[in-house]
Amino acid sequence: MTTYEAFNRPQRFLRLRQFSGKALSIVVTLVGLLLLTFTMGRLLPADPVLAVTGSEVDRATYERVYNELGLGEPVWKQFASYVGRMLTGDMGQSLTTGRPVAQDLLTVFPATIELALVAMLCGTLIGVPLGIVAAINRGKLIDHIARIVGLAGHSIPIFWLGLMALFVFYAKLRWVSASGRIDILNEGLVPPITGLMLLDTALQGEWDVFRDALSHIILPGAILGYYSVAYISRMTRSFMLEQLGQEYIISARAKGVSRRQMIWSHAFKNIRVQLLTVLALTFGGLLDGAVLIETVFGWPGLGQYLTRGLKMNDMNVVMGAVLLIGVVFLTINIISDKLYRILDPRTR
Amino acid sequence: MRYRLLAGLAAVALITGAGGAFAASPPNALVIGTNLGAIPALDPAAINARTVSEVVSNLYDNLVIVNPDDLTTIRPMLAEKWTVSDDKRTITMTIRKGATFSSGNPVTAEDAAWTIQRVIKMGAVGSTDIALWGFTKDNVDSLVQATDPQTLVIKLPEPVSTDLVLYSLAGASLGIVDKKTVLANEKNGDLGQNWLKSNSAGSGPFKLTQWRPNDILLTDARADYWAGAPAMKRVVMRHVPESGNMRLQIEAGDIDVGQYMASGDIEALEAKGATIDPGPGLGFYYIAMNTQDPDLAKPKVREAFQHILDWKPLAATTMKYNGFPWQSIIPKGMSGAPTAEPTGHEYDPEKAKRLLAEAGYPNGLKKTLFPSSDALLKMAVALQDNARKAGVEFEIVPGEHTPDFRARKFQVLVGNSGTRLPDPFGTLVQYAYNPDNRDEAKLGGYYLWRTALDAPELTKLVDQSKAETDPEKRKALFEQVDKGYQALPPTLIITLQRTDPYVIKKGVSGYVGHPTWSTRWFDVKKN
Repeated sequence: MTTYEAFNRPQRFLRLRQFSGKALSIVVTLVGLLLLTFTMGRLLPADPVLAVTGSEVDRATYERVYNELGLGEPVWKQFASYVGRMLTGDMGQSLTTGRPVAQDLLTVFPATIELALVAMLCGTLIGVPLGIVAAINRGKLIDHIARIVGLAGHSIPIFWLGLMALFVFYAKLRWVSASGRIDILNEGLVPPITGLMLLDTALQGEWDVFRDALSHIILPGAILGYYSVAYISRMTRSFMLEQLGQEYIISARAKGVSRRQMIWSHAFKNIRVQLLTVLALTFGGLLDGAVLIETVFGWPGLGQYLTRGLKMNDMNVVMGAVLLIGVVFLTINIISDKLYRILDPRTR
Repeated sequence: MRYRLLAGLAAVALITGAGGAFAASPPNALVIGTNLGAIPALDPAAINARTVSEVVSNLYDNLVIVNPDDLTTIRPMLAEKWTVSDDKRTITMTIRKGATFSSGNPVTAEDAAWTIQRVIKMGAVGSTDIALWGFTKDNVDSLVQATDPQTLVIKLPEPVSTDLVLYSLAGASLGIVDKKTVLANEKNGDLGQNWLKSNSAGSGPFKLTQWRPNDILLTDARADYWAGAPAMKRVVMRHVPESGNMRLQIEAGDIDVGQYMASGDIEALEAKGATIDPGPGLGFYYIAMNTQDPDLAKPKVREAFQHILDWKPLAATTMKYNGFPWQSIIPKGMSGAPTAEPTGHEYDPEKAKRLLAEAGYPNGLKKTLFPSSDALLKMAVALQDNARKAGVEFEIVPGEHTPDFRARKFQVLVGNSGTRLPDPFGTLVQYAYNPDNRDEAKLGGYYLWRTALDAPELTKLVDQSKAETDPEKRKALFEQVDKGYQALPPTLIITLQRTDPYVIKKGVSGYVGHPTWSTRWFDVKKN
């Protein structure tokens, strides 16, 4: 009993220290992020007062709003109150929509997340098998084809690809819908639960609306996903090649393990963890890439919200959206790190 | 595994292929594809842009209305009739009985009076037109009053042609607001400004049912509208920022009216039988020069700049459908406008070079060039390219530079204008009027102020034309201002008159783009 405790104590202490170290780094990152968005709000050439009042404004109103916005206070005080407001979820009001930014973000962000998730699924479904096939057939024709398929997705402008796909699958074949998240006839039929249209409609058994939502998201999702295929397949290929060259594979082959078993049960199992990191990084990238695809497809997501905010000098919107993107990246990093530890015991 | 994957993908294709969501837009609903990103707020008092003016014009009624096909006749709307006193200083209006707001409240003279007072008191962009007649925060309460529920009395603080006042009352910013509803949603004395950003309180034939910026704007027809229910039960504005996508959707029949489309796409749709409403506007495309820059203060330099843009090919290519060659500050066809083809601003790099040399710049000039918004970037690039041959180097800074223009913080800018007053006075006051050239005057509404050019003679003439009612005398005054303006030489070089084309699908009738952007959906039908 005593020996066990003696053994366990420093271990627990170590974990606590690890944890607090991690928590500290998260806090530091968050504060850094807040500082960044705050500075951005101050440095951008837009006059925050004029953004509120419009440009034809008399001096008295200008000064009243200037004081209301706290712009006369010392900068550190302004930053402190900014952090305070952010901690309570108060991102201020959008100067143009008149609604709280946090509330706006709650409606636009799920649209982008949903798009990125579908893209991720498409990218993975194409990219991973492509990488594996390429690795198994290294140097052969199919390997080159796989590389070209991946590279094409990466190098063709996403804007152009989107329009071409619309032309084929929407205008000619009539397989998919063209714009927005859902048809106007289905607008408001399914009350939102998570904000993810596919999930909400499925949960409530509204399959007609589900099909409609799917027909809207499948094209932008697939194209955005295709964009990431080059990266995913290249990484999969190199991870796979590394495994296939290992001695355990060679001896497994010698023992008569089937080719399929060797690939899926042995090699693939060992690259799962590395792949996860690749996919997490890709997900972040997809959120970025969504800005363009959202424009082509009129997708009402974060990208469009942010660009509109920038155009209208709506600083609360810009700061709120940038902060959200930062927090998402941070969360993805933490989650992938955690999963990495769970799946690969050596890294614990 | 590979087969399972293929099967899965095939299933997705089947499910989406079998979806029934691809029928053309329904027969009793109008679907307008547009750019909803440009809508800042839905409050009539705070609007000055095209799409939002159209929306507001259908959610709100005005006291009077001007038809898009006859800009010279002012017709009754909420005001059934009106009389003008002999001294032309008092307009008395009788408000229509039986008109109600979408809240159910009856429309009264009190609502109308409060709407005018509110616009002036808020002092936002929407007040520009009506504030021209001398109304201020201090005098508006006593000058605009409801004497009984059906009678509105508007007293004019200074002599103004009453037609001009009526024109301004027909503008989208003067849509009559439901006082009771708005005051019930007032916060901190904001006159309901915040609430009206995303809600509506009008008596128009449509009521707002949903608005999500960058996504969708839904309106439903009101069965109890005083002039009867409109044919369209629903009008939907859908955010389609990409012109190519819009073109596909119009071809497929999913969108009935397309706005903000690229000329190539419009041309293709026209060839396929769509109607193109040219959308004649009352504004211009211009190159603005700030005289606070010492180089641009020299008249010779501004004269040289009149010859650095090759506008002819521009009008035939990228600007096709968006404008036509024009060089006067009076819109084509209006009283006082030239009847001949535009001349004076021909592209002539050699002449420009010579003029610059005479002004003391034998080696040319270097300036920064702002496009007023992304939409003007193409024009800015064309100007940059043309001007190089005349020895003028422009460094383009892309972005939304209208605020810099209003604040006099620019050197050269390309922009476009519009006006809601369907009268030459509307453009003259924008382009040739500057009552106070000091920085602190902050008269951002006037282009001469923005470009810091003092022109007292012209300002006086424009003021005179405001009160003049005799058509012949007005015409003479307008011509005089135009001539004087060109002789300055002006700080704004006009090369094209603006048009805002609407692409209308076959089978849709009654959709007529309004030159002052208050396009109404009441008469739209589909067959």
